[in-house]
Amino acid sequence: MMKKPAIEFELPTELEAHEPPELRGLRRDQVRLLVLPRNANQPVVHTQFAEIGNYLRAGDLLVVNNSRTLPALLQAHDETGARVEVRLAQRRTESLWDALLLDGRTHIGRSGMRLDFGHDLMAQVAAPNPDLPFLWQVQFNICCKELLNLIYRMGVPIRYSYVAEALPLDLYQTVYAGPPGSVEMVSAGRPFSWELLLNLERRGIHLATISLHTGISSTRDDAIDATYPNYEEEYDLPEATVRAIDSCHEAGGRVIAVGTTVVRTLETVAAQQQGLTAAHGWTRLHIAAGHHLRVVDGLLTGMHEPESSHLDLLSAFIEPERLKAVYLQAIERQYLWHEFGDMNLII
Amino acid sequence: MNDMNNKVCLITGASRGLGKALALEFGRRGAKLVINSRPASAAQLAETERTLRDLGVEVLSVVADVSVRADVERLAGEALARFDYVDVLVNNASALGPTPMPYLIDYPIDDYEQVIRTNMTGPFMLTRALVGQMIARKSGSIINVSSDAGVVGYASWGAYGVSKAALDQLTRTWATELQGTGVRANSVDPGDMNTTMKRASDPEGDASDWADPQAVTPIFVYLASDESTEVNGQRFLAREFEQAK
Repeated sequence: MMKKPAIEFELPTELEAHEPPELRGLRRDQVRLLVLPRNANQPVVHTQFAEIGNYLRAGDLLVVNNSRTLPALLQAHDETGARVEVRLAQRRTESLWDALLLDGRTHIGRSGMRLDFGHDLMAQVAAPNPDLPFLWQVQFNICCKELLNLIYRMGVPIRYSYVAEALPLDLYQTVYAGPPGSVEMVSAGRPFSWELLLNLERRGIHLATISLHTGISSTRDDAIDATYPNYEEEYDLPEATVRAIDSCHEAGGRVIAVGTTVVRTLETVAAQQQGLTAAHGWTRLHIAAGHHLRVVDGLLTGMHEPESSHLDLLSAFIEPERLKAVYLQAIERQYLWHEFGDMNLII
Repeated sequence: MNDMNNKVCLITGASRGLGKALALEFGRRGAKLVINSRPASAAQLAETERTLRDLGVEVLSVVADVSVRADVERLAGEALARFDYVDVLVNNASALGPTPMPYLIDYPIDDYEQVIRTNMTGPFMLTRALVGQMIARKSGSIINVSSDAGVVGYASWGAYGVSKAALDQLTRTWATELQGTGVRANSVDPGDMNTTMKRASDPEGDASDWADPQAVTPIFVYLASDESTEVNGQRFLAREFEQAK
């Protein structure tokens, strides 16, 4: 069933960020920052990301997602010799992945398809994912570190049409990236430099981590994207982060989620338990207007596309009409959208 | 002896010479290892891996050229996928350049760029890829393998010497930026060792004057261990170090 989007607007194509700020002559922390107070009586501020510390207080806690991006786009041929673009979506076992199978924007997956990637890497396509029928179970002929090695050697980062050229994988990493698993960049934290994070730390604004391996953000089919806004994604919430969150709140600080993946992780765990505890699991939590946020006080996120499910999540922090008005301001002021674009702090 | 205490250590250039000696010493002391070599040394790296496994060491070997940007990202990703984190990074892989070693004023540009890329840019890229997870964990040790060719302007040691001088400066700058984070960066000049690289650089030299690589490992053990958590931005001469057990 197609869901009505939280807010509707048109995004001019010239406001799509085509490349990282480093390739536009900027440092990663020099993208723009739109500061949107949750208190509607406080003004919206337009500034630079490097100034984010001016809108945080000693005792606040930044919770980031340290999942590292994989080069999850692979090219293969099927048994007829036809080219198949394989976009890995979610790892199921050491040799089994859910994946999109595409020819351009056309979904071409079918059971029994045999894929040859070259370099002795092959796969058999089994059944579609029972909950997400546009994803196919791709069973590789090797597993574990050997499979990971070939994914790295043969894959490139997933990108969309507004990024014209393939870019090095390191440009898709946050500065604190840990173990790999995300098929698309956890982009909300990308603008942080270590210089900025260490300065914030010295001012009493601390850092804690979770890990959630992202799936694909788009199936390249708008109707499917609208019907299935959230996939199941694997998360890990460590004990050290739980302690940091508890200490932050006990001292009157604010927990700022760096990215919607952090919101979904923390709110999933909080909803399952009385009080937050370390946890590992899967979430498909869809957050929208009216959702009672149990843990997160603020959100740092990118600028989201029209009709994106992320806008539903933002509506849990900001009343939708106000959010729309601010987005129209951002368009007027020519903020840049997507993973290499500008940022929004809701606090 | 278990003073490496399950630390995860990544050693580049571990197929032979000092890198292999470090891998064996760290492994004997309880470390978990990621060992690396360039593709041309893959067979020797596999042999090092087998030796370590026979000793009961948990080890991942990754063939990657540290002068290649995509290889560095792969090496970091595979290491973190296997062990979740890296505690110690030893930037040991280095290229000597063409032999017999030419004067710097005669040095071929392409060879110069490759030596710089392997010996300086490679450590820069790999450290950049791994230091973040160290800072986030508030713990880590970066050990850069230096040389007196980076301090003294020896004729015919041009590109290699320049790269080692630059690597020492990377050490100093990282140490300053990392102060207070729990992550430290130090350099070690291992001195003349009886290795393939030394023999190639000095075919007329007397190998009996050169140390066995295993003999210079104590300073590396010290810098990798928790005994050195307050040591940052220093440059050590391996032969003068006597503290490690």
